[in-house]
Amino acid sequence: MLYFLLLPLIVAFIAPLLRPKGATYLSSAAFLIPFFSILYCIFKGCPSEIHLMNFSPPIGEIYLNFDFISNAFGLTICIVSAMVALFALPYMKHRFEEMECDAESEFRKYIFLYDLYAVSMLWLVYSGNLILLYVFLEITLITAFLLIYRYGYGNRKWVGLLYLIWCAVAGVLTLAGFIIIAFDPLNNTLALKGITTVGMLAWAFILVGMLIELPVLGPHIWLPWAHAEAPTPVSALLSPLTVGLAGYVLLRIALIDYSFITTYRMPILGYAIFSSIYAGFSVFKQTDFKRLLAYSTVSQMGYVLVALCLGPFGLIGLVIQYMSHAFGKSILFSSAGGIIAVHHGLRDLNKMGGLHDSIPAISNAAVVGFLNLGGILTIGMLGEFFILRGVVDTFLRPESPAFLGWTGSLPIFLAVIFMFILSVWYGFWTIRKVFYGKPKDTKRLEISRYFYVPLFIIGIFSVLLLFPPLSTVLIQGLNSIPSLGLGGVVP
Amino acid sequence: MIDDWIIFLLLFLAPVVSSIPIALAYKSKGWTEKLPYLSVFGIFVSVLMSLYIFFVFPENQQYAYDWIPDLGINIVLITDYLSRYMGVITAVIAFFIAIYGLDYMRGDYRPSWYWFFFNLFTASMLLVVYSDNLFLLFVGWEGLGAASWGLIGHWFRDDDEIAYVGVPKRKVGPLELSWPPSFGGWRAISTIRFGDVPMFFAIAAIWVFTGNLNISEINWESLFLNIGAAGTVILLTLFLMGLLTKSAQVPFSEWLMTAMTGPTTVSALLHSATMVAAGAFVFIKISWYIKPWELHHVPGLNYVYLFALFIGLISGLYGALAASGMLERKVLLAASTMSSLGLMFGAAAASYWIHEEVMPGINLALLVAFWYMAVHAFAKASLFLVSGHLIHATHTRFSVGALEFGKRMKPAFITTIIATTFLIGMPPLTAYWVKSGMDEVMEHLIHPIGFLPLILLILTSLVYAAILAKFLSLNFIKGEKPHHEHLEGGGLMKLGYGLMVSMLFVLIYLIFTRTETAGFVHAGFMPTSFAVGMSILVAYLIAIYKPRMTSFAKLGTFFNDRMYLPFVNDYIFPKTGFFVSHLVQDYGNRGIDGFFNTKVMPGLFERISKGIRTIQTGYLKTYVQIVLGLVMIFLIIAAIGGMRI
Repeated sequence: MLYFLLLPLIVAFIAPLLRPKGATYLSSAAFLIPFFSILYCIFKGCPSEIHLMNFSPPIGEIYLNFDFISNAFGLTICIVSAMVALFALPYMKHRFEEMECDAESEFRKYIFLYDLYAVSMLWLVYSGNLILLYVFLEITLITAFLLIYRYGYGNRKWVGLLYLIWCAVAGVLTLAGFIIIAFDPLNNTLALKGITTVGMLAWAFILVGMLIELPVLGPHIWLPWAHAEAPTPVSALLSPLTVGLAGYVLLRIALIDYSFITTYRMPILGYAIFSSIYAGFSVFKQTDFKRLLAYSTVSQMGYVLVALCLGPFGLIGLVIQYMSHAFGKSILFSSAGGIIAVHHGLRDLNKMGGLHDSIPAISNAAVVGFLNLGGILTIGMLGEFFILRGVVDTFLRPESPAFLGWTGSLPIFLAVIFMFILSVWYGFWTIRKVFYGKPKDTKRLEISRYFYVPLFIIGIFSVLLLFPPLSTVLIQGLNSIPSLGLGGVVP
Repeated sequence: MIDDWIIFLLLFLAPVVSSIPIALAYKSKGWTEKLPYLSVFGIFVSVLMSLYIFFVFPENQQYAYDWIPDLGINIVLITDYLSRYMGVITAVIAFFIAIYGLDYMRGDYRPSWYWFFFNLFTASMLLVVYSDNLFLLFVGWEGLGAASWGLIGHWFRDDDEIAYVGVPKRKVGPLELSWPPSFGGWRAISTIRFGDVPMFFAIAAIWVFTGNLNISEINWESLFLNIGAAGTVILLTLFLMGLLTKSAQVPFSEWLMTAMTGPTTVSALLHSATMVAAGAFVFIKISWYIKPWELHHVPGLNYVYLFALFIGLISGLYGALAASGMLERKVLLAASTMSSLGLMFGAAAASYWIHEEVMPGINLALLVAFWYMAVHAFAKASLFLVSGHLIHATHTRFSVGALEFGKRMKPAFITTIIATTFLIGMPPLTAYWVKSGMDEVMEHLIHPIGFLPLILLILTSLVYAAILAKFLSLNFIKGEKPHHEHLEGGGLMKLGYGLMVSMLFVLIYLIFTRTETAGFVHAGFMPTSFAVGMSILVAYLIAIYKPRMTSFAKLGTFFNDRMYLPFVNDYIFPKTGFFVSHLVQDYGNRGIDGFFNTKVMPGLFERISKGIRTIQTGYLKTYVQIVLGLVMIFLIIAAIGGMRI
């Protein structure tokens, strides 16, 4: 398994030597091979960890962790990175032409950064040590920054710096939290399996840091800039994969020590729901398609934070929500990219409408994307179901510490229900505004297959994940994690 | 066991798989003309399988297959009374409509989309019908939602007036009462989703409190007693939200009217055996197993059933009255469907007060509701298919057609006569017997509730008879002469509605031969039922003679505008939503952006940086001032500290 993870890392250094097409295929394959090996692991089982080296306390053992949570995240990262790499081939060519630079040599730099960016996310979710996790978090930050800085749109240098500063603040706060954990005499280690307690102060630092990265209302303001102005393949990794990793970090910390959440459950939950609904309403007023999708990401990340507060089923919901959002949003950003490439930089929603006629394949892919976000007929359904179950478990079961009763918790579950409804509302509203209505041009355009085939592969995978046998093994696996499933330590 | 699974897999997957080739071949004109036959064949396979299940499979048998067994989410199918009948009805109706669709959709601009979603629609409904597990049911349920969105908005270009609902550019106050197809699709999915998520929540709650999701296995009584009166009311109301929105009951009915922007085949399927019927079907099914008539000791349950009863009956009357003012063929039929569904809801909800079991485990009220659904399905599907043919023939969606035209459209004319007379409940045709059962049910409610349910039912039935007579009269007898007549072709269309309407004879045969429906026949011979039936007949005949009453024109306009319910959907909701969006975006986001990213914070940093940079002047004087200032501050602090000591 280790070799499968090393493969994309090695490829990141080899791919720049090749021509664009070869480099793209190689990068894509380098993520597909680990994808299938993870699938194999999910079905057949694998060693749960790989030891790398030992450091003196308070760093402790550095190892890779292969439980179902990491596998679920890893699976998502691999398939999305592989497919977006394919999509990027014609897209980046188009972008380099637009920027009037030497396409081939720029592509070498680009593919190196892209691979490194994606592989560092992959390694992040397998890191068994918080310091290793932090290192990969920073690598994703720097590579993404460079990609935006070099190839972004509009005021790209300013946006790149904006992104760097916000995420650096988030990273530093998180690191401070990690250090407090490390120097806690009860832990004296940063290896995930060795940490037994996370103090309130450490939790607070990590939470604030990750809320900036996630992001929620307030700090969310960096995200529309970064997502809208990044080159689209980067947006298609940044939004689906990277920001959600903040949810992953919080999940890992929550699995060690859930007491912080139980203490501050109501304010965090309220904030999360408010943030999600707020961002959902923001979507309706956007005029830039990529910005619109960015606000939808903020809304979806609200789901992740809501899920964090809802006990074991909520945490399973968090993992599934991450997956479904990643699938949906990577499809949507790629379809936005497809429109940009095919319709000469078209991003303004007011100039869209009736695009289905010229690019039906991209339009249909976008529908699948929004079905994922809305939780209709895709893995997102299970995510919503687990989050709803988490609400019932937390507030309606008499034995739960947060029991409020049916009438007492009515506002909470109505708010959560509304939050879910809002996603479908803005989703199909957007579809109508962008793709349907009176077409300006009914001529069907011949477009490169790279623009839609990868998106449909992601889409099909997201539908397959709802049904047996994939969902059977995945959900049962998540449920079997001792601290996560039924009867675990998480209250 | 394996054989059973092949049957079920074919039943659900044949329609979907057979429509994938056409979905993939969307670019080729040649293939998209041939492949619809494959899609129809897929539905035909479903028909065969549903018949096989009906005749061969044992009744009340559960078929279970692992999905996420640890958590109780499984693929569980059941062949109970309801699903055996409903499965056949669904598959057969979808098949007839599909045959009709081969003609109707010929030359359409996106056949791939149409056939894929049409077949997905059918498969989803079959899944809803046969599934016993609530999660699996919900998968089918969402499939219905997604497919209906695709089909209602099928003509997404919004460029053909014939696909609109309402009179273009007609304004009442701030409202424009005209809706294009792409809007109809959006309205449908947004309304449905408004009910689906609450229903999903209710399913999650059932899952938590019973640990089981199989409708037939859940111990409903202990569930309700466990969660108390408030819990029961909230849980079931949230569950009902899904059913009421799907079945377009008041106040969620608007989407069904704007759904008429879809192709007529879609309207026919949507209104008879899928989608709107799904809401009423699931209500019947769930009441079948809750057995509310045995649970009078459960606190709160009576409120829920009372609520459902009156929502249903009020929707029934509302829909019928709204239709009475309408001239658009399909919208008139849509409003009448809403009315029928209201009666199904009302009858099914009455089961709480009906203790009479016609056979062990079969409650009279639920049986009546179910049989009414069956009759309604075939009759309404026929009427929709006829109106589709009329729209093709006359190129208008408004009712036109005089007797002369009716004579030239004989099959359509005859079908309409049969479908309307069989549906309104005039003696002795099919619906009369079912409606008599319904009268009897509502008579039972006089003691616990009062006369209101019976009065509402009779009023609705009378208006209902009048609107269907109006449909017949204005399209074939007394309408204006059409400006345009296109009567050639349409063989498969005629075949489609001919087959459809003939099923009403099969149903009347079944009513007289099945043992469980003997009660209907018995009720039909009661004098009160006969009196109601005869007054329905009178209303029907009067409306045929005088389909439009100009002296009531103002009232008609009020009804035609659905009593201004669109005001809620088209004005209050969107205006509020966009106002919130405006606040959030133009004040919230812009403010936060200004604070952090563009103005305040960057400005602050700039000022601090400038301040620090001014120190680097090189003048000795500045440094002496700074040092002296620091010394002063130190001295003051020391002095204060010293005084304390």
